[in-house]
Order: sequence, then structure tokens, then C-alpha cells
Amino acid sequence: MALLSISEPGQGKPQAHAADTKVAKKRAIGIDLGTTNSLVAIASEGHAHTLCDHDGHCLVPSVVHYAADGKVTVGYEAWLKGAEDSRNTISSVKRLMGRGKEDIHYDLPYEIESAATGGMPVIKTAAGNKSPVEVSAEILKTLVKRGEDELGGELEGAVITVPAYFDESQRQATKDAAQLAGIKVLRLLGEPTAAAIAYGLDRKQEETVMIYDLGGGTFDVSLMRLEQGVFKVLATGGDAALGGDDLDRAIIQWMLDAAGISDELSYAQLNSLASIARHAKHALTDSETTEVTFQHWSGTLTREQFNSLIDGLVEKTIKACRRVLRDAKVEVGEISDVVMVGGSTRTPRIRERVSAFFGAEVHTEIDPDKVVAVGAALQADVLAGNKYGDDILLLDVIPLSLGIETMGGLMEKIIPRNTTIPVARAQQFTTYKDGQTAMSLHVLQGERELVSDCRSLAMFELKGIPPMVAGAAVIEVTFQVDADGLMEVQAKELSTGIVSSVVIKPSYGLEDKDIEKMIMDSYSSAATDKEARALQESRVEAQRIIEALESALLVDGKSLLSPAEYSRLEDGILQLQEVLEGGDSDAIHEASEALNEATLEFAGRRMDSQIKTALAGHSIEEID
Amino acid sequence: MSLQKANYFELFSLPVSFQLENAQLEAAYKKLQSEFHPDKAVNADDRTRLQALQQTSMVNDAYVTLKSPLKRAAYLLKIAGIDAEEHNQLHLDEGFLLQQMEMRETLESLIDDEDLEGLDAMKDSINKEKTSILAHFETQFTAGEFVGAKSTYNQLQFVYKLLDEIDKAEEKLLDY
Repeated sequence: MALLSISEPGQGKPQAHAADTKVAKKRAIGIDLGTTNSLVAIASEGHAHTLCDHDGHCLVPSVVHYAADGKVTVGYEAWLKGAEDSRNTISSVKRLMGRGKEDIHYDLPYEIESAATGGMPVIKTAAGNKSPVEVSAEILKTLVKRGEDELGGELEGAVITVPAYFDESQRQATKDAAQLAGIKVLRLLGEPTAAAIAYGLDRKQEETVMIYDLGGGTFDVSLMRLEQGVFKVLATGGDAALGGDDLDRAIIQWMLDAAGISDELSYAQLNSLASIARHAKHALTDSETTEVTFQHWSGTLTREQFNSLIDGLVEKTIKACRRVLRDAKVEVGEISDVVMVGGSTRTPRIRERVSAFFGAEVHTEIDPDKVVAVGAALQADVLAGNKYGDDILLLDVIPLSLGIETMGGLMEKIIPRNTTIPVARAQQFTTYKDGQTAMSLHVLQGERELVSDCRSLAMFELKGIPPMVAGAAVIEVTFQVDADGLMEVQAKELSTGIVSSVVIKPSYGLEDKDIEKMIMDSYSSAATDKEARALQESRVEAQRIIEALESALLVDGKSLLSPAEYSRLEDGILQLQEVLEGGDSDAIHEASEALNEATLEFAGRRMDSQIKTALAGHSIEEID
Repeated sequence: MSLQKANYFELFSLPVSFQLENAQLEAAYKKLQSEFHPDKAVNADDRTRLQALQQTSMVNDAYVTLKSPLKRAAYLLKIAGIDAEEHNQLHLDEGFLLQQMEMRETLESLIDDEDLEGLDAMKDSINKEKTSILAHFETQFTAGEFVGAKSTYNQLQFVYKLLDEIDKAEEKLLDY
């Protein structure tokens, strides 16, 4: 099936197939592996665009569904299954990457349990226990496939973005997922860095830029400085529980208050409220007022009202920006550019407030949902060896200090945060007992002084130290952090020339043999049945039509349709749902087409009504 | 080009001296990074990539060492054959030590009073003192008075530590 590519505004036209135009073109992709949605993009000659599916969906929901027969679905298809089979539908897996069960203090719709070996928890699904790395690998596979289909062949590799604050374990888990998905990681790139690259800020001489990233459920703000081609994250901040969903909730609360509804609502009612709120929020991006209808109540929400509903939330994000500026000892006047990332930054009030606070140029030209993937693709193209223009080098820093445990449960920093990577630091230790032949080392990451306040990365024992009097053996421990922020620790006994060296990986990372086993496992279950796939696709198509129609009926059905027309469409939905139960993909396809036909008139009226609404706020002169 | 050089100064094509042309250091650092960074070797074999990793790590370490006046001073002493970190024969002036103890007491009372302006003023005066000690180190080192230079370096360590503590105290007080 042909993939539809959409060009980014300001990014030029999509390039012709690279393979056609240039023989030596190396194929590489940029991946934004997000908490809620993921994207893949490709670049050529300094222009990038995201890749979309045949329906024009560029965003792949970061959702994976595991069926009892072992079948795995990813993205929109999987998201649809969430309502009926939430226990086997894994969403927001990014929050589990490189984390232990003890780190998870919130409810998940699926069940997790501690892994036998420690480390990351496993998710219990109908298809067996899955680690967060395996789930992420499924999402990556889908994105890689989309890239391969577009570029026509095997890929050189991918740049995958991670949040700037991601620690060693989270980065390692991301890299493990890529290995499991069979894609080479050219570089793990910070999300804010990617956003800055998308806007070409890496090509300026000296800049201090703020990246304001308000996603569906998280808010991240990063302050970066570019000096002599070195991109440095100066400070990061934000709120892991603040996002676009909170804007929707503000509208829902307003609706409930205005409609005088105080009863307990069903899951389905809450769902449709959420969908109405989302529509209203989107409508208010371009128009001054919007009509909202829920059950028998309807009202008008103005942008001004909406602004006052969300001002408290917006102020919270500004406060986080202030804090980051203070952390980095940077004055607000020093900021030359602000880059807006995440779908929620489309909200006009947020743009107003951010622009007023910083008084700097606020970049919104590139679709805020896609800007990170675009930056990743640009960097992937350069790293794969496709040169264009000046050569820019991005140097990253380590976001959190690395150190080891010393006497008294204290953390001794060996590599402080914000050190440019790659970096290697060595530290010497000695034995404290006569004849001591082993020594244990506890590797930590964090900024606090007490070991208990830092993240434990690894514990390992250095054995085979030649027996000597206390203090005579000299053990040199070297920390090596690579350009992706991943660490290796080596220990050597120096005094006798006897070298015993160990290389360790953090405890939340996977052993290479674990990854090998997972790769083998995935091969054995990869035998896909063509017929089953066709059936699945027709079901998804049908479900999409039903979903779309149901939500359209909720919003405009009462106002645009006669009662007879309304019930005819409702009957159509019921009929399609019946056919859906059966296993005949052709029948489902036909019924879907029929229902689609039946909705054409309704769709036309909705379009007219939307145009009227859109024009309502403008004067005649403007339209002329 | 090989990175096997006698010392970090030579690596950056700089003269072995405390006086440092910042622009020259930056330019040389950038040039070395763009030549040896692992990003330039993503498609190379493992051996080449490991080399790139080690070389860039060294370049980064060299840059940090030369950029910071305190670290540069210690490194110069090391080249001159003197272990700057050896503390068992500290030759610190008694007057200097007394002054340091007084300053610590001042710092503690400023923290107790949550006196941010006082902390700022203290930082300014210590920064002035730092500049004059750095100049003194340069004179001694250039004249080959390494023993004296080492003792000046040890004074610098105190001053840098104090500045660091003021910063930490300010951060703590500002935290909301």
C-alpha cells in the first residue's frame, strides 16, 4: 500500500525517493518514541517530513495489544482494543522503561509484577509476560517498517529521541528495545535537542533557547545553550502529571457545572465527555466560540471563558520555566528563541502567555506534534553519512551525575552532571583489610548526597585481587560514558600488574543473552496468517467508521439530523456491529462501505455547519 | 593525525603556560571534536568506534582541564613534576588560614539569617580575591617558583570551595 507523505510547512517539498535520485544515499530514519504517540520521519538534503499511513495518520499511538493467540497489534488498531480489553492493551510503556516496580506509584489499566531477576517489572498479558523493552520494541518495529516501506530497503539505522532528563537505565532500556526491534541506533538524541535541530537553531552561532514541551500528559521544559557548535542542556524541569488532558478536564468540569450534572457518570459517558471537550478545545484554537452539546444540554463556550478555565494550569507551566531559568542562572532576557513542542501548544492562550513571559521569538511554524521526529530525521541523515552544507556537531551532556557509594552510605560523584560526553574518568581505590581479595562497588546516579536518595545503577564485585597487606592493592575504576549517555565501568588492579577487568551494564538494562532470547522468541511467533490479517484490517476499518460516526452523532447529530435520519444511522451502526462479530472479512468490508455511503449527507451538513461557525467570528470585509 | 601528544597543551596547539587564549582553546577543541567524535564513525567497525570514543573522551577531559583555571593550575604543576594534591606538607600561610576560618563563620551566620544580599556581597569580595590569587600563581609559576606556586594553588582550592558552598547555600535558600 502506498504511504502518504506530508511535507512540513517551512521544510520544503517532500523529496523524491532518495534511492531514485542518488545511488549512494544512505537510508536512515528519525524516531520520536513518545509516551502517548510515536512518529517516524525521514530527511534528505536538510529537509524532513514525517511518514503517515494510508489514512493520513502520522501519529502512531504508543499502544500495543497482545491477544491470547500471540498476535500483536500496534498503534491505532491496538488503541481501539483498549476499551474492551484494557488488561492486554499496553499504553504509556515509556513510563516503565528503566524503572523498577517500586517506582510506579500510580494505577495502570494492566497488571505488572516484579521481575524474578530484579530490574524492570513485567507486564502480564494474555500472550505471556512482556517486559517494557519488548513492548517498546513492538512500537519501534512498526515505525521501522514504515520507514523501510518508504525508503525502499533495509535501513542504515535510526536516531531515537529520549527526554533530556532520561537517566542511564532509561536510555539503556531504550537502546535495548531498538536492538530487539533489529534497528541500529545511530544516536539517542535528547527530545529538546531534536526540536532545536528541526528549527535549524543548531546552525546559529550563540543562542540560549527554551524548549517548551506540553504533551498529552506531561510537561517538560529545557533550557539549552549553543556555543561554538556545542549544544548543551543547561537545566530541565517540568511536571510529569500536567498536560493537554488537564485542559480537557477543565472543559469537562465547566460542562458538568453548566449543565448541572452531579450524578456519577458511566465510563462511556465520561468517554464521550472527554471527546466533546477535546473537540471544543480544538475548535477554540481557530474560532472565538464553540457550541457544545452533551445529552440534552447544550451551551456555548467562548475562548475567553476557556482561557480563564485554564489560566491556573498555564501559570503552573510558566512557574516551571522560571524555576529552570533560576537553576541555570540565566535571565529571561537572555533567551533568544522559544520552541513549542507537543499538541497542546496549539492552544492560543498558551502561546500568548509563553510569548509574553519570554518576550522572545516563539517558534510554532513546524507542527508541534512532529517537530521532534523531524529533528531526529535531520540528525539521522547527517549521521548516516549524507552530507549537506556545513558540518555541525552536536555535543550532548550527561543529565545526572554518576558516582559510587563510599563509607557511610554517601554518594561520591565521579562524573558531575552537565559534563560533555563522551567522557572517561578514573578513580583509584585500595583495600582496607590484610589479605582482602574482593571489593564490591555500588554505582549510582543522581545529585543527592545520600545513597538512598540516588538511583542504584549497578552493584558488582571485583574478585581476584592478589592478597596483600591493607592499602597495598590499587584498584583503578574507570567510568566510560559514550555519546548516547550510556555507561560502562571497568576495574583493574594496578599494583602487581595483574589486571582483572570487568565490564558491567546497569541492572535495569538487559543482558545481551536476554535480548538474543527475546529476538529468537519473536521469530518463532512471527508466522503471520494473511487471511487473519485481512480480517483484522477489515475489522479495524469498520471500527474506525463506527467510532467516527458515533462521535459525530454525539456532537452534531441532534442539531443537524431529523429524528428519522438519526435513528437510520444508529441502525446502520448496529448492523455493522453485527457483521463485525462474524469472521467474514469481505462481508465486513461491504457493510462498512454501505454505512460510509449512508453518512455522506450528514458529513456534508457538518461541513457546512463548521464553515458557518468558522465564519461567524469574522466580519464581511475579512471574508471578502 | 594522532592524538599521542606530550600534554594537553600540545594537543590543542597551545603554549605550556597559565595564560590561555580562550578563543584558541575553543577553536582547537571544536576542530578536534569534529575530527574524532564517535558521530563521525557510526558506520565504522567496532575497533574504530572504540578508538573514537576513547579519543573524544580524552579531548573532552583535556578541554575541561585547560578551561578551568583551578584545574589548569594543578595540571601545570603536574607537568612540572609536582603533585598538587599532596596535602601532607601544606605550606599555607597562618594568616590565610585564620581568614578562611573567619569567612566560614560569616558564611554560616549569613545562611542562618537567610541573608541573600549578604551572600551576594560575600561572593563578590571572594571573587576579587580569587582573581588576585590567580595572578599570583601565574607570576610564581612563570618564574619557576614551583613550591610557592603549589602553596598558592592550595589557597585557590580553599577559595573555590568557599565559592561553591555559597552557590549551594543560595540555591537552597531560593528553593520554593
